[in-house]
Amino acid sequence: MGLFSPELKKGSLEMLILSLVEDRPRHGYEIGKLIDARSHGRLTFALPTLYPALLRLENRGWLKGRWVEKAGERERCFYSLTPAGRRVLGEQRETWRVYVAAVNDVMGPDHA
Amino acid sequence: MRDWHAFVRERLRLPDLAPGREARIVREVAAQLEDLYRDAIAGGAGEGEADARAAAHIANWPRLAADLRRADRAHVEPRVDRLVAAIEQHPAERRSLLMFAHLLRDSRYAIRQLVKAPAFTMVAVATLALGIGANTAIFSVIDAVLLSNLPVKDPQQLVFLTNPDEQGLEIGFGDGDRDFVTYPEFRQLERNHEVLSGLLAASNFTARLPVQLRTGDAEANGAPARISLISGSYFSVLGVTPILGRAFGPEVDTVRDANPVAVISDAFWRERFGGAGDVIGRSLRILKTSYEVVGVAPPQFHGETVGDNPDVWVPLTMQAEILPGQDYLAQETKPFRKTEWLQVIGRLKPGVTVAEARASVEVEFHQMMQAQAGGMSAREQRQFLNQHLAVTPGSHGASTLRGDFGKPLEILMVVVGLILLIACANIANILLARSAARRKEMSIRVALGAGAPRLFRQVLTESLLLAAIGGAVGLLLAHWADAALLRMVSTTSNRVRLDVHADAGVLAFTCGVSLLTGVLFGLVPALQATRADLIGVLKGTSRGIAGTTVRSGGLPAGKVLVVAQVALSLVLLVVAALFVRSFRNVSSTQLGYDRDHLLEFYLNPVSYGYRPTELAALDQNVLLRIGAIRGVRGATLTDNPLMSGRDSNSPVTVEGEKPLAGDAADARWDLVGPDFFSTTGIPILQGREITGRDSGTRERVGVINETMARKFFPQGSPLGRHVFVHTASGDVPFVVVGVVRDSKQHSAKEKPSPRFYVPYFNPIGSDWTSGAAIVVRTTGDPASLSSVIRSVVKQAAPNLPPVTIETIDQRFADSVVIDRLIANLSGAFGLVAVILVCIGLYGVMAYATSRRTNEIGIRLALGADRGGVLWLILRESLLLVLIGAAIGVPLVFVAGTWISSLLFGLHPADPAALAFAIGLMFVVGVLASYIPARRAARVDPLAALRSET
Repeated sequence: MGLFSPELKKGSLEMLILSLVEDRPRHGYEIGKLIDARSHGRLTFALPTLYPALLRLENRGWLKGRWVEKAGERERCFYSLTPAGRRVLGEQRETWRVYVAAVNDVMGPDHA
Repeated sequence: MRDWHAFVRERLRLPDLAPGREARIVREVAAQLEDLYRDAIAGGAGEGEADARAAAHIANWPRLAADLRRADRAHVEPRVDRLVAAIEQHPAERRSLLMFAHLLRDSRYAIRQLVKAPAFTMVAVATLALGIGANTAIFSVIDAVLLSNLPVKDPQQLVFLTNPDEQGLEIGFGDGDRDFVTYPEFRQLERNHEVLSGLLAASNFTARLPVQLRTGDAEANGAPARISLISGSYFSVLGVTPILGRAFGPEVDTVRDANPVAVISDAFWRERFGGAGDVIGRSLRILKTSYEVVGVAPPQFHGETVGDNPDVWVPLTMQAEILPGQDYLAQETKPFRKTEWLQVIGRLKPGVTVAEARASVEVEFHQMMQAQAGGMSAREQRQFLNQHLAVTPGSHGASTLRGDFGKPLEILMVVVGLILLIACANIANILLARSAARRKEMSIRVALGAGAPRLFRQVLTESLLLAAIGGAVGLLLAHWADAALLRMVSTTSNRVRLDVHADAGVLAFTCGVSLLTGVLFGLVPALQATRADLIGVLKGTSRGIAGTTVRSGGLPAGKVLVVAQVALSLVLLVVAALFVRSFRNVSSTQLGYDRDHLLEFYLNPVSYGYRPTELAALDQNVLLRIGAIRGVRGATLTDNPLMSGRDSNSPVTVEGEKPLAGDAADARWDLVGPDFFSTTGIPILQGREITGRDSGTRERVGVINETMARKFFPQGSPLGRHVFVHTASGDVPFVVVGVVRDSKQHSAKEKPSPRFYVPYFNPIGSDWTSGAAIVVRTTGDPASLSSVIRSVVKQAAPNLPPVTIETIDQRFADSVVIDRLIANLSGAFGLVAVILVCIGLYGVMAYATSRRTNEIGIRLALGADRGGVLWLILRESLLLVLIGAAIGVPLVFVAGTWISSLLFGLHPADPAALAFAIGLMFVVGVLASYIPARRAARVDPLAALRSET
């Protein structure tokens, strides 16, 4: 029922997650909220989609999860980017940039 | 607030995950639901509403569990990776461990890959199992027949003084290397201690006689067993120690008929004595003599002749008891007519070479011959002294199977090897197609820092793992196939008893073949994996939205493989066609008599206590009674049974003709009963046949075949002329009363040779005391008369055991069993090759066509007609077949020459076989590409263009 097809969303989810933890570790709920907020509600991922993706990225060695208890908060698992994850993110970002540029070039200024 | 942890734990079931993992996941899911709840509260929702919202957030728990499980499937990975990392810290001292850790990691990865593609894995494993299984099956027979050493002490020290590839009994002598020796010759050779530390002799045929035990088990009593006569030195020279009791020694060699002792085989002990521990000292009865069991041979020991497997070994000195009516032990008084029947094996003294032994034995044997040659004419002496003993390595033991099956087995080995190669090409092709699909995965692995060597190793590990599984299944298949193979070559009268089992050699072979196979089909895909092009691939296949940049690298390799497949299959098909046609020629060969409705059985009364003087009357009586049975058209007899391989041969001269020199004077001959020709159906061309009136002491008559008539009577009619047969007991004459058409007495492949027939009841010599074959012509189904014939024989000769009746048709089928085997197997393998090529070609064409969808779309859009597109694809496939066939044809000629000795009635460059094979390959080419081609022709141009832009 969303704005975009599930395939489109799912295809970009891993890239989104990687980019969100690029600067600092974040926990799973926070990542979901951030995607929702930054896309102004146009991209939302519920737990059943988000969490398996996190687990997958962790198992691939692109993310590392660590349980941390911050003052005044409950214990949460914070995910950070591994060196391998950073490399993959770089690749994906580059691919995405080239792709978007190509699509824009094709569609022309009228549709941009 | 609700206990979210309990809430999640109740709903999320992950039993197959490690407990720690499951707890962690539950904890995190609970934490996120709690965050959701708190957020809802913070957003102004009531407690009840917030709780409901969070609780309903996950609608499908089983699906989440499945997703998590899939995401977590790599949860074992870190363990191995940690191990690898830990070992990598100390590379110097733990190299081997590191290799092992890498292997472990690659294997785990490979297993996961194979599990992910079950259809591919199953097809690949099945293909490999068939290929490797066929190779193992043929190899284990080769191993058993050609390669295995005898299971005796230091087999490499053994040498044969006789011909290990021959079996039987020869009376008279031929010049050149001797096949066997006589008993007195063996005794003399035994005294040579210069080069040999010991010498043994064994009868090189096994007598099949009823053996009775005093066990009270009526069933077991009287069942026939295979009996081998051996010298006292037999077990000690071979170094075989009985597992129970003892072996007999040289003490049994001194006195004739005085040593009724026996060593029995492990199998016989188990079957007939039920493996009884107190078997030593018990007795068994063979014919009229009781033997004391003194020992049980070890289970792996089956005698000196591979495939013979005697049940009972008794001393040579008991020959007259085992083979009554014959004396094979006496010093020969007539050197020209001695009975050669012993296989002789020596054990070299340490340090003595085979060549030294050969020289020593040669000198000694020559002296022995010289001692016997006194009183011979110069010509006879020259011939007689041209006898030699060839000393040859004996570690493999004796076997006629080598001569019979050696070449066919070699050919079958090559055939199954080719099949495996074709199968490899198929799997390599699938892997190539798959590796194209797996480029993204490879690129990701490269991105993760996996170097080319590691990727290469990983892909190769996957192939090797496949090959290993295929090999393991193949080993099981081979076990089953070997049993089937032995059944196929065993005939009704001669069951091939071969100890085929997966020993260390076979296992090593299977492992080697599997390894080689894995490398063969894995190498190209593995090399390709290392060339994974990172950016291009990630770009090209990222979620399948972008344009295609996948390189077409997989295509030429796949086509090259298919061309190779076609070439190899062509060879297999031609070979198969040749063997099938050859077998058809053999089985449709005209023997010169009607082989339907013809029965034969062997009567050997002397072995069962009848005196030689009673034989003529007994035979007459049997013939008379059989002749009176309803449904019998005629009955006769011959001393050399039809289709048995037993034959007599003597030089002859014709009265008034110049004697032919050397072997040219030889003619084969049979002693035949009255009406032999009308009963068998061999046509009489001139004169008359041998009848009942030709018996007794009248002038001996004889009938000759057309080849003999042509060769020995170049001009004028042979009728009424005298022929002299040169036998050991002098020249025996007969007068020719008839000429008959040439016939094939023993095999379909026999070439016509001079042959004569003289009356059984007015014989040459007195050889027929050993028995005769009764030949019966029936009007109806011959098999239906078996029981009535058996009962009339019983009436005429009550002391004889029930006779074994065979149809000549069956004998004939048995005589071509190897031809049939090769025709069947090569035909079956040819079919497998065709199927494999069909699959391979289909795969390559389907892949190539799918890659050209875009191009085809453009062609169609530009107005190409669909027939043209169909032809475009077919043409490509046919081109591959054409190139393959062009490469295959020269190979076909090489293969044809190699197998030509086994072909009958056709040239190895048989145009029909070649045309058939090439035609079939083109049919395969059309069949395999028709579906892809039709799919291409049906492409919707617009859809095709869209799909690729």
